[in-house]
Amino acid sequence: MARYQAGDFGAARALIARVSPQLHRFFQLQSANRADANDLLQEAWLRIHRVRHTYQPGRPLLPWIYAIARRVRVDHYRKALRTTVRELPLEDLPDTLVADPPQAEDLEELLAPLSVGQREVLEMLKVAGMSLEEVAQATSCSVGSVKQKVHRAYEKLRETMSLVELKKRQPEWCRERQ
Amino acid sequence: MKDSEIDEMLDKTAHVPHAVPVGLLQRIADSLEPPLQPVRPLAPTWVLTLGVVLSGAAAAFVGAARAGFQGFEALSIPAQVLIFGALGLLAGVAAAQVVREWIPGSRHVAPGAILAVSSVALLAVFALLFQDYQTHQFVSSGLTCVVKGLLHAVPAALLAWWLLRRGYVVNSVSAGLIAGTFAGLAGLTMLELHCANFEALHVLVWHTLVVPLSAALGALIGWGLRRSLMRADR
Repeated sequence: MARYQAGDFGAARALIARVSPQLHRFFQLQSANRADANDLLQEAWLRIHRVRHTYQPGRPLLPWIYAIARRVRVDHYRKALRTTVRELPLEDLPDTLVADPPQAEDLEELLAPLSVGQREVLEMLKVAGMSLEEVAQATSCSVGSVKQKVHRAYEKLRETMSLVELKKRQPEWCRERQ
Repeated sequence: MKDSEIDEMLDKTAHVPHAVPVGLLQRIADSLEPPLQPVRPLAPTWVLTLGVVLSGAAAAFVGAARAGFQGFEALSIPAQVLIFGALGLLAGVAAAQVVREWIPGSRHVAPGAILAVSSVALLAVFALLFQDYQTHQFVSSGLTCVVKGLLHAVPAALLAWWLLRRGYVVNSVSAGLIAGTFAGLAGLTMLELHCANFEALHVLVWHTLVVPLSAALGALIGWGLRRSLMRADR
């Protein structure tokens, strides 16, 4: 990052290649739409580029990047809320309202039942490999609040996975009746 | 299901490689437009914090110099130490958080908590020092003090904003709230230097009110800025 600030284009490219997959995943977990995630990733890098001087060398990089990425996501969400949600016809409501409990095969599906805040905290901890302190810095909240979100997320996941287990154990005829 | 099993499941799914289209990465890199201009990183946090504290002190001192130091001169030395020591400490804590709000990914202390602690601490100090509960022209003299305090909070906030103009605010309402708290503390410092009305209720109500009022105005400005930026973006 220090080399990027010094004007090294190669360092900027390397940073983009290194961080983009996890940032893209971060956006995809929140938007559940690959096209949106692509747009948000581009927007995030443009903003990171514009405010790259605000990174202070020697400090952890990921909380800085994720704090900016969160702001991009929130701006996008607010804009989308104003322009589209009011016009959404009933039949276009997301299927997740009536979907089956998630399978533990991919992260997006696994984290689907969680709230946005819980999802982003788990994504930062598990995918980006950040510490609790770093997640707290990126999300502008206390370590205690991050721990509480993780705790609630695990409770919710436990509940959801128990449902899946229960469903698996049901006899075939019972599942057919449902 | 145990936490360790959930952990294991999350770890397994989190480490599945996630592909980003190569074309997209290329587009992002191209949008940076080489050759890149080198940029000067922000000054260290402690330098910025010191700058913000000094700007607040300057706003309070210049204001009191114009209006007169009657309040400071009438206070006993222990009262001067206690009041200005508390104000200095609270302004330092608020200034540090103001700086953090302008640097993304910094350690966070809730601005609302700083505002609440500041207000309660100041009420405690004032209640300890001022015992005269008689009132004369309670509302009119109080309103004069509130207006003076808020008017001196404005230059403190503007100076802090100018010092931090290269920063980037992630949450403008939160930044406005803490900047308003800091500016309110600067306005209150000016009042303590200038106002020689030591009636307990006057100081407890009207002087202390400057801090939450200024914080609320700051949060309101932050909210307004965010709305106008969103509109301009559309």
